Amino acid sequence: MSGVRERNASAWLLPADGTTTNHQLREDMRRYPTTDTVDAVVIGCGAGGGTMLQRLARAGWKVVGFDAGPFWDPDRDWVSDEAGSHQLFWNDPRVISGADPVPLGSNNSGRGVGGSMVHFAGYVPRFHPSDFQTHTLDGVGADWPIAYDDLEPYYGQIEGELPVAGEDWPWGRPHSYPHRPHPVGGNGEVFQRGANAIGLPTRVGPVAIANGRFGHRNHCIYRGFCLQGCKVNAKASPLITHIPDALDHGAEIRSDSMVTRIVTDEHTGKATGVEYVSDGVAHFQPADVVIVAGYSIETPRLLLNSASKRFPDGLCNDFDLVGRYLMVQGAPQTAGRMDQEVRMYKAPPPEVSCEEYYETDPTKPYKRGYSIQTVSPLPITWSEHLTAQGYWGTELRRRMSDYVHWASLGALCELLPLPGNRVTLDEQKDRHGLPVANMSYSMCDNDRQLLRAAQSTMEDVLNAAGASETVTIQRFAHLVGGARMATSERDGVVDADCRSFAVPNLYISDGSVLPTQGSANPALTIMSLAARAADRLARHG
Amino acid sequence: MSPALPYPRFPGFDVMAQADHWDPVTRDLVESRLDPGTAASFFSLTERRAAGALVNRLTGQDDEQMVPVLPMLEARLAAGTTDGWHYQKLPHDADAWRQSLLHLDADAQARHGADFADCSPEEQNQLLEDLQGLGDDEWHGLWMHGIWSLWMRYVCAEFYSHPLAWQEIGFPGPAFPRGYKNIGLDRREGAEVPQAHPEQGSEPHA
Repeated sequence: MSGVRERNASAWLLPADGTTTNHQLREDMRRYPTTDTVDAVVIGCGAGGGTMLQRLARAGWKVVGFDAGPFWDPDRDWVSDEAGSHQLFWNDPRVISGADPVPLGSNNSGRGVGGSMVHFAGYVPRFHPSDFQTHTLDGVGADWPIAYDDLEPYYGQIEGELPVAGEDWPWGRPHSYPHRPHPVGGNGEVFQRGANAIGLPTRVGPVAIANGRFGHRNHCIYRGFCLQGCKVNAKASPLITHIPDALDHGAEIRSDSMVTRIVTDEHTGKATGVEYVSDGVAHFQPADVVIVAGYSIETPRLLLNSASKRFPDGLCNDFDLVGRYLMVQGAPQTAGRMDQEVRMYKAPPPEVSCEEYYETDPTKPYKRGYSIQTVSPLPITWSEHLTAQGYWGTELRRRMSDYVHWASLGALCELLPLPGNRVTLDEQKDRHGLPVANMSYSMCDNDRQLLRAAQSTMEDVLNAAGASETVTIQRFAHLVGGARMATSERDGVVDADCRSFAVPNLYISDGSVLPTQGSANPALTIMSLAARAADRLARHG
Repeated sequence: MSPALPYPRFPGFDVMAQADHWDPVTRDLVESRLDPGTAASFFSLTERRAAGALVNRLTGQDDEQMVPVLPMLEARLAAGTTDGWHYQKLPHDADAWRQSLLHLDADAQARHGADFADCSPEEQNQLLEDLQGLGDDEWHGLWMHGIWSLWMRYVCAEFYSHPLAWQEIGFPGPAFPRGYKNIGLDRREGAEVPQAHPEQGSEPHA
């Protein structure tokens, strides 16, 4: 691991005494006055922004990272409790619409330093090589302006820095992981048993949870609260994997600071900095480079809210592409009742995966595919699985009392990028007086076929494992697109290096740049794209 | 009405007995749910009567309250702690709650000549069953399925945040900083209790 420490010492900058936060490092953080023009501002300190900050700070840039939420101290701010973790999500108002409106909140939004990786399950699969050219190969989606080969070295870097634990990976381009797989709990055992019975291969991992010694991070204690913020410091998020090293190299984090507008110069056509609100007071921070990393809803919203004389329909929106081609994954979850006690709340929810049906199968009527993973809902979330079946009252209570006997699987279906799925500005305003985002979503026929196929496979697995009963809940997960990368300004908002076509010193470094989503959880790809963009930015300016 | 469960499924299991092993931040939060008080903070008197009866029916609770859902629900609505998003075709959560409670009383008056809270539990259950049956249809101009999910989402989030509800389903709660040592099928920690009558399947009966 010495190579990791040389490029990113975050894990060694955490306290070694069992606590989670290096308070001294935060107290000593460099602070730039708003009268100084910094080299770059990064808007959002999640997967994309956190990685970008660390890389640019390492390259000697003077950088300031803004986050609308807090600079978390897991010891003090987080609880080992489902309802008590509500503050980790983006709870500012948003409107959802379309034929298949997508509930937001816990499964696709974050707030605070670390972003939604603070409460993501922890799965960090790579995309497959075919993901980068679905239009050419399958006639659906879009081709990326980069190939798997361009991203591969960065996948390797980030997997070392998180670090990732898992078995050798046979799917996509086969690869290995730096840490060996974690032991499997009851839910993972059921998945393995059922899949094995029907000849479906599975693998343990890949999860961003260190298995063994890694810097000063503590070992996972298998308490099952990955989705509530890891109080242990075992599961990765930029808060502990990239921000400490960024601070150590002179980056400033301005938390609880909501960027409200990107300012551009009408004459030069360049961005000059950002307006932001902190403690109710408006400020302006000038910068040579502006990097937006607010994720697929807030990034388009900020661009649309930054309209100017030159950009009357929103920044970078000359071709009506900002906010479009937004994607979520179809994520039905199917659970099965086992004779044995499963107690799926024990062990991390992310345990075992299967990517056998990830890509297009020419014998099927639909294009692209889905992956299957263990998910392990805690009681409140499990109640949603049962209320979705229509249970309430006494019947709900009785069925809930059988919680320990249920195993649960989740699918990620590659819903296709469609122009009508988009973020626009709503009439409603937030507390800063800014229009909130309206997110519209409607599925196409291919999408619905994938959902049915995935559910059917999960039922087959659970039945083969011995389930006496199965229940399925329809839902969505993750979020990407909305400012996609492309080879030309008529097809996308940014180029292959994440630089916007319209404003030469404006970059987007988050999930919004993804042209397609595969059926992989997006965090690793978002971080790897950010690491690549930072590399090219620092080298070529 | 008979109690929700015909018998305790985890006899002797005591979630709060482990509280000394939890971190103080989590312990304070969980303990605060044991006595959320009764301070009326959001609903009008009329709304509160309907809301109380509604949450009792939805959670299968009779007059003896195992989990005090109403004060927790009201505190949340008063604080405006939403999940952020709301459906374009529904009012904001707080308004949707108020409006739906008034409609519930109106329906009960039309059918039984009494407010919802004054109907018998059987009458209340029947009214709710009929509403659930509307599915995606409109109810007094509201998208019924959306209202039903809003009710269930808020009510279950409170009910299953309570240690006595965890106890009822065999869930030990925070488990931090101790964690779990025995993971895997049919493996238990010392403080976990096996489920009684697992052969009865997903719905226990007397």
